[in-house]
Amino acid sequence: MNLLIKTIVMITALCLCLFTNAREHDHEDHTTQNMHEHHDHQEADSGQAADAGHDATNGPILTRTQDIDSALAQGGEPIVADVLGVVCDFCALAMNKIFSKREEVAAIYVDLDTKALNLVLVPGASMSDQTIADLAVQAGYRIADVRRGNEALGTAT
Amino acid sequence: MIAVRSALILTLGCMATMAAVARPVSYVGGWTVIEESDRQLSSALVHYTPAPSLSLGLKTEINRDSDFAIHSAHPTFLAKRWFGADYQGNLYFHGGLGIASGIHDNPGSDQMAIYGGVMADWETRSLFVGYRNRYLEAGDYASQFMQAFRAGFAPYVGASGDLHTWLMLEIDHRPSDPDSVTATPLVRFFKGPLLVEAGYNLTVNQPLFNFTYRF
Repeated sequence: MNLLIKTIVMITALCLCLFTNAREHDHEDHTTQNMHEHHDHQEADSGQAADAGHDATNGPILTRTQDIDSALAQGGEPIVADVLGVVCDFCALAMNKIFSKREEVAAIYVDLDTKALNLVLVPGASMSDQTIADLAVQAGYRIADVRRGNEALGTAT
Repeated sequence: MIAVRSALILTLGCMATMAAVARPVSYVGGWTVIEESDRQLSSALVHYTPAPSLSLGLKTEINRDSDFAIHSAHPTFLAKRWFGADYQGNLYFHGGLGIASGIHDNPGSDQMAIYGGVMADWETRSLFVGYRNRYLEAGDYASQFMQAFRAGFAPYVGASGDLHTWLMLEIDHRPSDPDSVTATPLVRFFKGPLLVEAGYNLTVNQPLFNFTYRF
């Protein structure tokens, strides 16, 4: 039991060190998971995710990544969906896998910080709120709210 | 000593209203490979998720203490998932039906093995508590109950795609073992589709190594 107590103390000390080192890292050195052109893979894109903002009234706005920006530039509809229960990378992976299979989706990024699914659709494509909710259920999660267009971009008046 | 151990279990039990294996049910259409090796067992499970609340797998486990192996079909049912903006909780029922066989110097014949249990977890991005249990009936080889509580925290909160690190303590209870209650501190690393856990059982001086890969 003494060994156990020592171990717990050592782990606590280690955690404090890690925590101290991580504070600067947190929210600054984000790595994004990008799905591009329906390729079913995760791609490290360090430093490319801009800070996701919060609309004062409606929740988080679209998190910008290279792929998101590229899809936006092509005229795709932006969508931000608040997701309940997204607390880990397996959650993000599940959402990526399910949504990236859809031909309507040009770019996707699951932001654990804002707990939001960020989508940009292929130009001219549409995806209903119900479809988004159903796909989230297939991934194992639940959608709380969906914002589109200017509201998703935070530019709605 | 028993009182201290009991108090420790009760404390963790209270904390661990409910995870053990990370996400034993995946997204629809997803495959998962899970390897686990603890003080007594080594196992490999491959499962497929056909529905949001169900995974179907094949599992092989080796009991190193008693020299027998079980090959089984292994379904896991997600009975309930609690969602929140900042948390997730899960309640699973798992089970298996298969064949137990003697290995190494154990000359035992093939016998039916059946097991079942509950897993539950609750986690945020920085806190985790979990519980799991299992009862195994494997003919002449074993009639075993085990349960384990786990609690942990993330020393930093990683973003999507980052390396996520967790520090955890697992207390397991196996009444049929001479060392019925043991403690295993461990570290969990999480990145993308891969989860790796490494720990050391301080009571019986045995390593723990688990990994999960999802695709």
